[in-house]
Formats: sequence, C-alpha cells, structure tokens
Amino acid sequence: MSVGPPRGGAPPFPPGTGQVVLEPAEAELGPTEQMRTLYRLSDPALSELGLDELLGELLVRVQDALSVDTVAILLYDEEAQQLVARAAKGIEEEVEQGVRVPIGRGFAGRIAAERVAIFVADVDHADILNPILRQKRIRSLLGVPLIVEGDLIGVLHVGSLKPRTFGPRDVAVLQLAAARAAPGIERARLFSALEYEHHAAMILQRSLLPKHLVEGPGISAAARYMPATHEVGGDWYDVFPLPHGRFGVVIGDVVGHGLPAAALMGQLRTALHAYAILDHSPAGTLELVDRLMQTLPAPAMATVAYAVLDPDTGVLRLASAGHLPPLVVGGENPRLLGVAAAPPLGAFPYASWEEQHINLAPGETIVFYTDGLVERPGVPLMDSIDRLLEATAEAGSAEEACRRAAENLIPPGRLRDDIAIVALNYGPVPSEFQMRVAADPNLLVEVRRDLRRWLRSQGVPETDSREIVLAVNEACANAIEHAYSPAPAEFDLAATRDGDAVTVTVSDRGSWRSPRGQNRGRGLGIVEAAMDDVKIGTTDNGTVVRMCIKVADEPG
Amino acid sequence: MNLGDVQLKTQDSMVIARLTGEIDLSNAQGVGQAIARGITHEALGLVLDLTGLDFLDSAGVQLIYQLRRDLRARGQDLILAISDDSAPADTLRLAGISSQLRIRKTVEEALAAGAAGPE
Repeated sequence: MSVGPPRGGAPPFPPGTGQVVLEPAEAELGPTEQMRTLYRLSDPALSELGLDELLGELLVRVQDALSVDTVAILLYDEEAQQLVARAAKGIEEEVEQGVRVPIGRGFAGRIAAERVAIFVADVDHADILNPILRQKRIRSLLGVPLIVEGDLIGVLHVGSLKPRTFGPRDVAVLQLAAARAAPGIERARLFSALEYEHHAAMILQRSLLPKHLVEGPGISAAARYMPATHEVGGDWYDVFPLPHGRFGVVIGDVVGHGLPAAALMGQLRTALHAYAILDHSPAGTLELVDRLMQTLPAPAMATVAYAVLDPDTGVLRLASAGHLPPLVVGGENPRLLGVAAAPPLGAFPYASWEEQHINLAPGETIVFYTDGLVERPGVPLMDSIDRLLEATAEAGSAEEACRRAAENLIPPGRLRDDIAIVALNYGPVPSEFQMRVAADPNLLVEVRRDLRRWLRSQGVPETDSREIVLAVNEACANAIEHAYSPAPAEFDLAATRDGDAVTVTVSDRGSWRSPRGQNRGRGLGIVEAAMDDVKIGTTDNGTVVRMCIKVADEPG
Repeated sequence: MNLGDVQLKTQDSMVIARLTGEIDLSNAQGVGQAIARGITHEALGLVLDLTGLDFLDSAGVQLIYQLRRDLRARGQDLILAISDDSAPADTLRLAGISSQLRIRKTVEEALAAGAAGPE
C-alpha cells in the first residue's frame, strides 16, 4: 500500500520547532497486525456512512488501535487555505470552536503543506499554534496528511497526555488509517455537499409551494409538482383569495436551477402575492414584480402567467410574461388560449404586459403548466401541447385535469426538468341551490358567495339579489347563534326559483328562543323587511325559516 | 385574504375609518375594537366611511350602534359616508335606522358636516 509521498521529499525541518519529520514506515507492521488494523479501518460498513458518521467511527477506531488520548481530523478548506477542525475525540473543543489552522503554519499546517508525517515529542517546546492542544495538556503529538489521488484533503492527528515517543509502528498504523480513510472521507464529503445542496433546495422548494390550495364557492383547484431527478428547479404555482371574492392563480418558472433558483422563486412568489392582494390588475402585478426584479443584485429572469378569476361572473383576466399558453378544458370548446408574445419578467428594462379577458363557462377548467411538462427532445413543442389538450379536453374537474396531464405527458424514468401544473375549475351552477353548512360564522361569506352566484344564474337582478343575500345571511346567523347541539352543528340551506318567486329555506336543528337582545331582533327585522313573506316554523327537529320574494325579471 | 379590513386616518380633527370588503358576524367585533382604539380624545368625531364596503349585516349595524353610544358618551360625533344604492345602504334602510344616523354620500361631505358641528 502507499501513502501519499511527500512532494519532492521531506524538506529539512527548521531547527527549534520541536518537530520531527518521519518517513513512511509501513514495513514496521507485521502481516497479521497489518491485516487486523487494515480490516478495522477499511470495514466495508464504513462506506455506507455519511460524512459525520464516518469521521466519528474513524476516530474511535484510530484511538483504539493506537491507545491514544486524543484524535482529530481537520479538513482542508481550499478557498481559505486553512485546515478546519471537523471531528475530534478527547479534544472536542477543536470542533466546537471551529479551530482553523493556516496551511504551512504550526503542527497541522506544516503536515498539510509538506505532506509529511510529523511527530512532536514535547508540545511545550514545539511550534504549536492551536492553544487548545496546550490547554488540554497534550504532551506528544503525531500527525499525518490525508491525501486522495495526490490532492490534500486534510490532516489526521493523535495525541497523548503523557510524554510518549510515537514509534515507527504507530506511524505506520496512523498512515494506514489515513490512507484508508481519506478516499472515504472525500467521497462522503463530496456526496454530502451535493446531497446538502440538493436536499436544501428540495426542502426550500417544498416549503415554498402551497400545502393546500385555497378553494371557494364555485372554485376548486388542483396542482402537481415534480422535481427534476437530479436538480431542483424554480417552478412554482399558487392559488390565493383576493378582495371582492376573486381568486388569483399563478404559475412561474425561474430561469436556473438548484438553491439559487428555489430561493429566487420564493422571493417572486411572495412579491407577486403581496402585490396581488393590493388588488392590482394581473398586468399591473406582473409589472410590479418585474420592477422589483430589476432591483435585485443578481440578474434574474422568470416566465410567469397570472390570472384573476371572478367567481361571480366567470371572467378570467390573464397576463402572461413569456409563459406557455394555458388551456381551457372540460367544456364544449376545449382550447389553447392564444397568448400575446411577451418577454419574461426581468428580461428587459421597463417592459409592460397586456391583459386578456376570457369568459369561462360554468364547468370549465383552466390549466397552467411549465415547460418541463411539454418539452421533449425531438418533439415539436406544439405537438406536446396538442397532446396535453387532447388528454385533458374532457376533464370534469381541476383534479382530473391535473391527473390526466400527469398520466399522459410525464415520461417514465428520470425527469430532466421540474414540472408544475395548476388547474382552476369554474364550477357548474346547479339549477336548485342546496348547501349544508357548519354552524361557524366564518362560513357566512361562502353562503353569500354561493347564493349570489346562483341568483345571478337564475337571472335575478342585482338589487333583488342584494336583499335576498342579506336576509338569508341574517337567517343563517340566527341558526349559527342558536346552534346549541354539543355535536358539531350544521344547518341546511335550499333555494328555488319558480316564475318570479324566489324561495329560500334555512333549517337548523336548534330551537329558537324569542330573539335574544337587540341585535338578533334586528337581524329578524331585516329578514322581514327584505322578504315579501317570512314564516318561522318549529318542528321536533329544529327550526325552519322559509322566505319568499317576488323578483323583477332581468331586462334582456 | 381578510374578509374585511379597516384603515384609520385623521383629517380635519376627525378620525376617518374606512371599511372595505365585507363586515359580518365573523369580523364585526374585531373591526369595532380596532376603530374604538383609533379614536383619540382630541378628535371631534368619527367619519365611518362605508363607500368601499361590499357587505354589511346586522352585526355591522350593532357595531355602528355601539360606536355611536361610545362616541356620544365622550361628546364626539358619528357621521357615516355611504353611497346610494349600495349594499350597506340597503342594510341600514332594511334595519330601519337610516333616519337615526347622520349619513352623507361622500367622505368630503361627512367631513364638512363634522366641521359644522353637531346637528
């Protein structure tokens, strides 16, 4: 076996440093002893370990083989031209304090610079930089370089609290340990660095993507994200509620890979969300994010499509910054939305974006995706997009659209690029309105939104709709406040239109007392003032409020 | 996204509370507390700006009553700014209390009414 030979032989040691350069001495180990030590230090199990575990195990085995008090491994930081204490036994302070030794100076620094084994018989009379070695009252030291394929990767040294002359046998064992351990350390270190980056990027990416997509009355959402096999990218998607009951949906793809792309994605996602909730238009929101990107220290670019859906009307306002065109599927006319050619965010100074308005029919789903889904070597992009449209054309829900897209477009095996898909379904409006609601004041907004949408679908004019929604809201608030049931309470809501009459019933399972306090009395007063006919009936099971109103026919 | 929101500012010695979004049983109390905290002793009164509000229910009416009671006890005015033909206007009309409140169509008119002193 070989130990990395000193380059150009061991130079003469400066006098008075108390250090002795030693020649490699493997011949000193007897065959049996060598085999045993070799085995202990090259145990196949060691190669399964991560860097920290491997170093920890090596320390124990070296300490055991040489009967020493301290063992330390310092790894070479090429950028800083320093050795950094990475693992230690008996002198754990080295690692805790992050001891750094410049190459070429002191005990370990010289071992690294000269690539030689060095023996220090008496620490007190030697050129030792690291105060911890003195503080721990280490008397004698022996160290060897860790070398892989001619490259220095660190230093391994052992110490004794009693004066000890490390003999040729000790040097041989330590060199053997170093020779055996170095490639393992290097492999584990490289793997750890890559793993760390990949892992960190994955964790960041996952933490930045929404865990649950926001949904609302008439709106359901679904999404998929698949990281590339070897590298995390900067794809993201989001669905969030906006003022006036609207919903924002966004998909984006940051140019680049790995941690920087994931981190930038996080910034852009937050920035876009922050501008969007201030009720900026989709094009205005993209412009603001672009201006923010222009101020970032490093150049950044991303394709983004952002759309705002009004669930009351089905109108979708869409702006796209160089992103692939979305699909509208699940209706009578599955189609690819033509998107005007526009630059990505961050590409040119003072760019602006156009906005288009799309009318979604109830039941239709809009599908956004990133290029990872449709870019295949040797396949024209439009062919892939056509396949995607074909696969999702009849999807009845956002979830089904995502599933069909993933099943039909994602190739088996490893992914070259990450893939994001997000779909938003504009739900169909039933001819008869029915809803079961938990007795929670926070759900009143959903009742109102669903009811408004249904009333619009029934051609009920806005002024009538407002009064009906208010009256029903008050009846529901009553049901919520009277929900005495110890089990999670619910109430039922039903509405029908018959000719010019709209009838709404709210049924709960509580018994209404006479109005408590002025406020509830006021609520009932509003119900009676708003509706033409109100009947409150008490059954064995609960209370039913039946409200009726004649509405004007919507002109046209 | 919050269901409703409130922004406070002071102008011409009046506190202006602008309500946006929707006010209902779920958030009326919190909104009322935020406004009450924002009314200083030096203020002549409060302009409650409902011109940007999409919905107001009876819990919101209760909030207005509570504010009026508290302000009266301190000798401060309450003036509402409400657009005609809006959801909050419907609510106050159907609750039968429009006539009991000082209502103007815009914040500017409400401020002018505040400067003119109590009716």
